[in-house]
Order: sequence, then C-alpha cells, then structure tokens
Amino acid sequence: MTSRVLVIGLDCLDPGLVERFLDDLPTLRGLIEAGEFRRLRSVDPPITVPAWMCAFTGRDPGELGIYGFRNRADRSYDGLRIATSAAFRAPALWDELGGMGLRSIVVGVPGTYPPRPIRGLLVSGFLAPGIDRDYTFPRSLKHRIAEIVGEYIIDVRDFRTEDKDHVIEEVHRMTGRRFALMGALLSGERWDLAVMVEMGPDRIHHALWAHHDRTHPKHDPDSPYKDAIRDYYRFLDGWVGRLLEALPVDTQVIVMSDHGIQPMYGGIAVNEWLIREGYLALREYPREPVRMDDLIARGLVDWSRTVAWGEGGYYGRIFLNVRGREPAGVVPPGDYEAVRRELAAKLASLPDERGNPLGTRVLFPEDIYREVNGIPPDLLVYFGGLRWRSIGTVGRGMIHWHENDTGPDDANHAPDGVFIASPALAGRDLSLLDIHDLILGLFR
Amino acid sequence: MGSDRVTLKIPRPLYERLKRVIEGTGFRSVNEFVVHVLRDLVAETGEDTALTPEEIRIIRERLRKLGYL
Repeated sequence: MTSRVLVIGLDCLDPGLVERFLDDLPTLRGLIEAGEFRRLRSVDPPITVPAWMCAFTGRDPGELGIYGFRNRADRSYDGLRIATSAAFRAPALWDELGGMGLRSIVVGVPGTYPPRPIRGLLVSGFLAPGIDRDYTFPRSLKHRIAEIVGEYIIDVRDFRTEDKDHVIEEVHRMTGRRFALMGALLSGERWDLAVMVEMGPDRIHHALWAHHDRTHPKHDPDSPYKDAIRDYYRFLDGWVGRLLEALPVDTQVIVMSDHGIQPMYGGIAVNEWLIREGYLALREYPREPVRMDDLIARGLVDWSRTVAWGEGGYYGRIFLNVRGREPAGVVPPGDYEAVRRELAAKLASLPDERGNPLGTRVLFPEDIYREVNGIPPDLLVYFGGLRWRSIGTVGRGMIHWHENDTGPDDANHAPDGVFIASPALAGRDLSLLDIHDLILGLFR
Repeated sequence: MGSDRVTLKIPRPLYERLKRVIEGTGFRSVNEFVVHVLRDLVAETGEDTALTPEEIRIIRERLRKLGYL
C-alpha cells in the first residue's frame, strides 16, 4: 500500500510536446525514467469542465450530467447554467478518502467552486470569481494563502490581448504562485492525497500557438515568441522539480493532463449555417455580430420556425426544438431521430471554404456515455476533428471564420493527454475515467 | 415531541482543549463556543451553493475570454 499520492494536474499538457521537449525537462524525464509515460485518453468533450471531475469521480460526462462549462438546467431556451461544485453530485476521490479517515489537499481543480467541506484543505479552481470571495475550505485558509504567496492568482487576468508579453508574464506568475502554495501546504500539512491542477499550459497554448507552430498558417518565423511554449514547459518542469524535492520518498507521483492540444485553423459559425440550411429562423437578421445567448435573450429567434440551434465553444452543441419537450417545440417527437440523423450527416459533410472535406465528427450522447443524465446536447460536433471551433455568433453572413469571436486563439483541444507515474503504476495506456479507480486502489 | 436540541459527542481530549481555549474569553461554556463556531462555519460554507447574478456575470465573461463559450 502506498502511503501518499500526489497528483500534479497540468491542464492541456500535451504528450507530443512533452516528447518533443523532453531533453529540456529534466524533472519529467526523471519521473519517466523511474516510472512510465503514457497517453491518457480524454472524455468527450475533451474540455476542462467536465474532464477533471470525470477523472476524479470516475464518471463520464453523461453519468455526471455535465457536458461543458454550461449546461441546460431545464428545457427552456435560456436555461444554460454554469457548472458549479453543486452540479457534480458524484463523490470525488477526496470525498471517498475522507470517508476512510484520510486527508486530502485539493488545489485548483475546476468544478470545485463554491468550495465544499472536505477532510483536509481545498482551494477552488478557476471558476472562483475572485480572491475576494470565499474560495477555500476552510475559509481561514485564504488568509494563509495570502501569507504564503501574497496575491494568489486564480486565473490569467486580461487573457485575450495581443499583448503577448503580458500573457506570458501573467501565466508564469500564476503558475509560480500556485506551485509555491502547493509546496507550502505539502510540507506544512498532514495529507494522504494531494491534488493540484495548474491551468498555465492551457493558457499558454491558446495564446501562443501560432507563434510556436511552424506549420500554422498564421505562423510568423520571426516572431519573438516562437519559443514561448517550450520556455514555459521548462519553467513548469522546474516548479514540478521543486515540489518533488520536499516529498517523502514513499510518495506515488502522478503528473497528468485532461487533454492535449492541436492547431486550430478557424471557426464554423454553426448558427449561421443552421440559418442557411433552414433549420434556424430569426425574426430579424442582426446588423452586427450578436452572440446566440443574446439573440435568445432579446427574443430574436423565431422558435415557431426553428428546428435546431447551436452553442459555440471549442466544440459545437446542437439542440433540437422538439414538440412537447421545448417550450415552443416544432419537431414532432416521431421525426426526432430522422431529423437528428439528417442534421448529423449534413454537419459531418460540411466542407471548408474551398470545398475540401473538413473531417468533422458528430457524436450522439447515447453512443458515447454509459448513462445520459441531465439535459445533454442532441448532438456533439467536433468541427474538423476539433481543428475548427464552434462559433455561436450570428451576423457576419459567413460560415467559415478565421478570427475568433472571443479574441485571438489558434489552438484547440486534442483528445490525448499525458499520464506520467513514478513509480510505474498502470502498465498500459489509460483513459481519464481510469484515474479514479487507479488512485483509490492505492489506498485500499 | 422531540426536543429542539440534540446532544453531540466529541472526544474528551478535544473537549479539555476547547475548555482551555475559551478560558478568559466571553464564552461561558464549551457548548456555547462550539455552537458559535459551527454556526459560523455553516453560514460560510453552507448549503447555499448558488452563484449570485454578479458572480455569474464575472464567470461568464471569463469563460468567454478564455474561449470556452
């Protein structure tokens, strides 16, 4: 039996980049040489929320009923609710270990705000609105955090900016403070399980991908930031090393990520496409770009003539307007399956702007989840295999976008994350859903 | 009818420590102190896990800027 387990979660840490940079990452290389390095298959969708909580509960998004950062709370058209800690009803590892009398330190796991009591300490993840809130359990912990690191940085401030120096500095500062905090807690507290999630890799990838990736259409070979991602990986490796220095030797160390990263070439304005194909009707086409949320809130969608609408994000979600299910539904329940399959086929064959195949994947919730709870999207859409994002905004009169509706971003999530364990633990490639049982098993 | 109070059991060494903690404070008994601390804890961490409209606005804006929405 292991006496302690430390999980260092690095959001979006990419297995391909770890391999490529490994010579510059002495800490990770050491762990791999003494242990193992594997690909860790993410969930669908491979997105921070719900992915991390899927790992720590062992339940898939369908079982959790959490399909993204926002979920439909009911069948109304404007019923998207942010997934808070209360939305995750399945016990997480630290809840179960608490029941066994074991103590946990949990820092930065997305899906843990507002903080709920645990046997141990908990610092909420990046959905905590700010450090002026009660973002820790117990509450007094936040005063200790201030003593340890000064101003704790929950997430990068002013992320969407062309000021890359600012983003780089801010990500480094955030990462440094979170690791410094973790180090202080690990050496100052009694613990059996310690889990941290650092968002830095995700932020640096999204902000700087085109500078890093020589094959990206927006790449500038003279960019002063072309090594920013590699530099950040080295910086991160240094912090992982410092954290491990103070650990008792009998600690099982796991370094993992919730998904990887890949280039993103553009966005598909999914609602624009639905309008063009006759599935979505507006009372009035907006004169300037308007987000779908706002169109719905302003009553500009003509639900009596709308078959389906979509949500934006790194992946697309399609909702059908079904009679007797949605408030002003029009699709007869008997036609639901046929309409859904027709839409799926059309979405899957949507080409790029030059008419080339995009390689879009369309998923049906009941095919990919062990259970389907809550209100799932009727279809999940990975435009171009997630090399294109989904854009909910309407009003530019075009379907293919090469700028984002949320600011510069040239990367999207890839389905494989990283699993590094030292000593070796798994002996095979894993899925995120295996993590919970794997760790719990170490304490049994 | 049941009483509006219940009895909680705590380990005696903890009780003895709490007794020392409240010596010379305004708390007249360990019982009173524990009720105060527990009320305070529940008020803070409570069952109310709903976000305020302002928090929803802040979080939604952050998620948009991060590209998640």
